[in-house]
Amino acid sequence: MDGNYVALAVTLIVWIGLFFYIMRLDKRVKELEKRAK
Amino acid sequence: MVFIVMSAVICFSFLTPAPQQIIGEASRVFYYHIPQAWICVVAFAMSMIFSIRYLRSKNLHEDDKAVEAARLGLVFCILATVSGSIFARITWGSFWNWDPRETSIFILLLIYGAYFALRGALEVEEKRAALSAVYSIFAFVTVPFLVFVVPRLAPSLHPEDSIVNENLKFTMGPTVLVIFLASLATFTVIYFWLFSLGRRANRLLRIQAETEE
Repeated sequence: MDGNYVALAVTLIVWIGLFFYIMRLDKRVKELEKRAK
Repeated sequence: MVFIVMSAVICFSFLTPAPQQIIGEASRVFYYHIPQAWICVVAFAMSMIFSIRYLRSKNLHEDDKAVEAARLGLVFCILATVSGSIFARITWGSFWNWDPRETSIFILLLIYGAYFALRGALEVEEKRAALSAVYSIFAFVTVPFLVFVVPRLAPSLHPEDSIVNENLKFTMGPTVLVIFLASLATFTVIYFWLFSLGRRANRLLRIQAETEE
């Protein structure tokens, strides 16, 4: 069961990192779209 | 919303009892592996649809969408292969066993790897778009065959009744079913989000190239 907590923590960290990275990319693309208009 | 649901899926997938008691803890990979494989099929189907639309309209934006879908399909296909290999290592003792399911996904990876090799080899944009669109249509013809037919033709170690049984009834309990469906929905939303991002970035690149000309 301890292994499950480790796997849970690692998966959550990866997911949070990935999510905020995609969010940042989305913001940048939106900025560039505004500039292109 | 996606963030909350996916975080909940991750928490529940590790904190609730394993979905298949016979397989044990390794069966938790099921919450991630099946949605990844599902997205892989959806993405390759979308790539084929945009390829057909490109051949009809000759609009390069359609080609951009086809490439983006194929690219994401390949990424999710690799993720499904990796998660499947981890499962194989725990339950069958080796990361790779040339099981019919593993062999068919390997062939699928080669087919879509060749799609990008083909695109890389052609310099004229219209020719590249037309040839890769035709290739993408033929490539997708193999997908249902490789994903659903070939693995069932030969005896396989791969669990076959994870979702539905022979009578097409759900084999999983209500908790497992809810987590699985939430995972499937979230992976689908993430895929469409990434697809939209890629498509918009490609459009910006095209606008930039046109203004430079």
